[in-house]
Amino acid sequence: MSIVKKIITFRPSFTVRILAGIISMLVMLSVCTYVAISDQTALNRRDTNFRARAIEAGAKVYADQCARCHGVNGEGVEGLGPTLAAESFVGRRTLREETDGRVTYQQVVPSKRLQEIGWVGTLESYIIAVTEAGIPIRTSNVWDVNHPPFLDRHGGPLRPDQIRDVTAFIVNWSLNPLSDDQAVLPPAPGEGQGPRPTPVPLTEAQERGKQVYLQAGCTACHAIRGVGNQGAVGPSLSRIYTVAQERIASDDYKNNVKGQPPATTPEEYIRQSILYPNAYIAPKCPQGPCPANVMPQNYGETISKEDLEKLVDYLTTLR
Amino acid sequence: MAIVGEKLVKQIRTTGLRATIAQRLDDGFTRFTAGLSWNDVRGILRGDPPPKPNPRVKPHTEGFWFHIRPSFYHEAVTTLYPTFRLGFLSAIFFMFEIITGIFLMIFYTPSPTYAYQNMIDILTNVPFGKFVRDLHRLGAEAMVIVVTLHMVRTFVTGSYKKPRQFTWFTGVVLLVITLFLSFSGYLLPWDQLAFWAVTIGTSMADAVPLIGYELNLLLRGAPDIGASGLLRFYLLHVVLLPLLGVIFVAVHYYKVVRYGISLPPEMEPVGEDNARKVPPEKRVPFLPDILTNELMYMGVAFAFMALSVVTWYKGAPLEHHADPLVTPNHTVAPWYFYWLQGLLKVPHMIPFLPGPIATEVDKFFANVLGLTPKVFWGVIVGPLMIGILFIIPYIDPNPSRRYGDRKVMLTLGALFAAAIIYLSFAGIPTGVPITGFGYVGGDPASEVGQEFIPDEGVGPVRALPYEDYVVGTWTVSAEPNTGNPNFDRLIRAIHASMEHRKANADPLGKKLSPEATAVVEVKQVQENLRYVAIKIDYTDDTGRATQFLKSTYLHALSGYSE
Repeated sequence: MSIVKKIITFRPSFTVRILAGIISMLVMLSVCTYVAISDQTALNRRDTNFRARAIEAGAKVYADQCARCHGVNGEGVEGLGPTLAAESFVGRRTLREETDGRVTYQQVVPSKRLQEIGWVGTLESYIIAVTEAGIPIRTSNVWDVNHPPFLDRHGGPLRPDQIRDVTAFIVNWSLNPLSDDQAVLPPAPGEGQGPRPTPVPLTEAQERGKQVYLQAGCTACHAIRGVGNQGAVGPSLSRIYTVAQERIASDDYKNNVKGQPPATTPEEYIRQSILYPNAYIAPKCPQGPCPANVMPQNYGETISKEDLEKLVDYLTTLR
Repeated sequence: MAIVGEKLVKQIRTTGLRATIAQRLDDGFTRFTAGLSWNDVRGILRGDPPPKPNPRVKPHTEGFWFHIRPSFYHEAVTTLYPTFRLGFLSAIFFMFEIITGIFLMIFYTPSPTYAYQNMIDILTNVPFGKFVRDLHRLGAEAMVIVVTLHMVRTFVTGSYKKPRQFTWFTGVVLLVITLFLSFSGYLLPWDQLAFWAVTIGTSMADAVPLIGYELNLLLRGAPDIGASGLLRFYLLHVVLLPLLGVIFVAVHYYKVVRYGISLPPEMEPVGEDNARKVPPEKRVPFLPDILTNELMYMGVAFAFMALSVVTWYKGAPLEHHADPLVTPNHTVAPWYFYWLQGLLKVPHMIPFLPGPIATEVDKFFANVLGLTPKVFWGVIVGPLMIGILFIIPYIDPNPSRRYGDRKVMLTLGALFAAAIIYLSFAGIPTGVPITGFGYVGGDPASEVGQEFIPDEGVGPVRALPYEDYVVGTWTVSAEPNTGNPNFDRLIRAIHASMEHRKANADPLGKKLSPEATAVVEVKQVQENLRYVAIKIDYTDDTGRATQFLKSTYLHALSGYSE
């Protein structure tokens, strides 16, 4: 009881007040001095940590958004996205630990690609610019797919901070880049700019088929050079007639769907592929064996017979 | 001008240069202290008894700051009990938050594009940035605690009774302002924690009957929290609420001075208020006693804050960037709103009824009044609990402040506190110990994932340093053999957690299926970046074989383990 009473009736003497006040001031002063002395190192250390965490976050964004076209390990996909992990793109860098606790990149080999295309900014600014806004023009006509814009303001799925993170992740490949002979590289500017084949005028039916192609949802996944949206999920259809010819001629061609005979003409092959996407699954895709059951299997119901024929007719013009 | 100069020259001639300078400086000093000369202040600091006539009351009539304060206190209220200085400390913390807050404002832009990067900049690029941010955050939590304790103290000593009813009322207003100040500051870092805590908070506004939609729109500036919502919360946090705070502190303190600080209950005859009738021998003058006391308490409080931030305080959290498309598991409100979150989990309109009857009652209310249990408990009962605080002095009929006479009220108060604590436990995902009320958990497999790789925060997987991971696919077992003892320990911990969840059902009665197996997969992604995944193969509730996968990337320099 007496202790409780002592505590509740506690009234520090004048000396105690002055002393406690002075000690508190000294404590505050020492803490501030301690922070002032140690702060720069702590700032640098946290800076390094946050940069590393940005790379972690970027790795997730990359796996979700970029790997489809640029490859899971940045190795590139022929016809879709060039190798990002290539030395000719990210260059070669090493990490240097500074005495003040910072860890910084030191450039050993600069990016060849940026020199080629005459980009005057940094590698980071180039990646950010392309990821945010896409590449609005084609530097060659070899590949079918243009880089789409990814920034939310431009209609893409990513926020600016996510683009910064994924840039940090891509740049980090420069520590151990793929050599150029392992890489899928885009043609240098000017190369592959040969004259495009003169387009054959479409018939009225084929013109209608093209409209069907644009309206039935095909462009969400497929790409035809110069026609509508350039989807990157399914194979490119730019040369589908020639491809169909090659498929039929190949040794392992067969039709998996019961009651459907194997196609003998490219037209038949294309029609079957629309109506029964699983009829024949191409053995090789950019990321290993092609998966089945990706394409919807109800186009026989959603596209009328008449339109289907016109669509097939149109697709056969793509040689 | 000439006349002033002439006077000065005359004074120097008669008294000498040194005496003139001293006298002029003293004049200035006296103006600054509103009536105390240097010698008076010296006497105060030396603890001399006041001379007659006492110059120490002059600042109380002449100066602005001192006129706010009474010139003497009753001796009985200058000890630790009955006030514990909690009211003073509340005011001090309010000031503390304003000072640290202004520092942080300099480096902050209330825009979703910049806010999060600003936070990283404060932590990585602003000298004293983390220090002040931690002080601001810890100060905010301390302020909530101090203000709440101040209220509890006022309740326990019965100081809310006549004539101080309105003082109590404004005090509860200040408590609400404190809570909202703290809560509105929550959104500003624009991280996941901020975004989802405030999304939950404002959706409660959405559930308010009749005006919910409009109220929500007013707070968020749009159907969902975005740029407008952030700006509104910022303005609430830095302008409107502090302004209201200052106004109500002024009203509150005016009332405190007007009626005096209530004496300890046992010192007063029942029903009387003698705080203002202080016999001369019981008077403790403000100068120097109270002032030095206050300066000491302020110094100790600030030193405690500064010392805490550099020692035990883990630092104000900063999670991943706010992402409206990704809801982290186990999102919680700030701790002082756990009780409200707990109320939202009350399953029925009338708890403790047998299940089927309770469901029927729910149906009745839903059909007749359009009330669901969530709306009733969270949006109506929750605010009512605060509302009760407001009217306590007006409904308490007991004139006595003596503890012995107030058994009913003190018991009710203790019950109220117990209810708040119980509901607070219910508010967190683990629920109340023993009863399990409030437990929130998904599939046991996903809970294992959440335990080791939480959506936000560190967790054991990120805490294990990068170097300790061995690339490969490792089966989770009691005897792992990865070649690294620390990695082995992590795998054993995962195994133990799975075994625990196989043997013990969670409060919802779910167990991990007994044949469940798991692997930990470690892949090298880049030279200094690894991918760590926990894959659990198990049978889910519907009897289907399922795989649960939770993964994270780990950089050599991310420093989670520090």
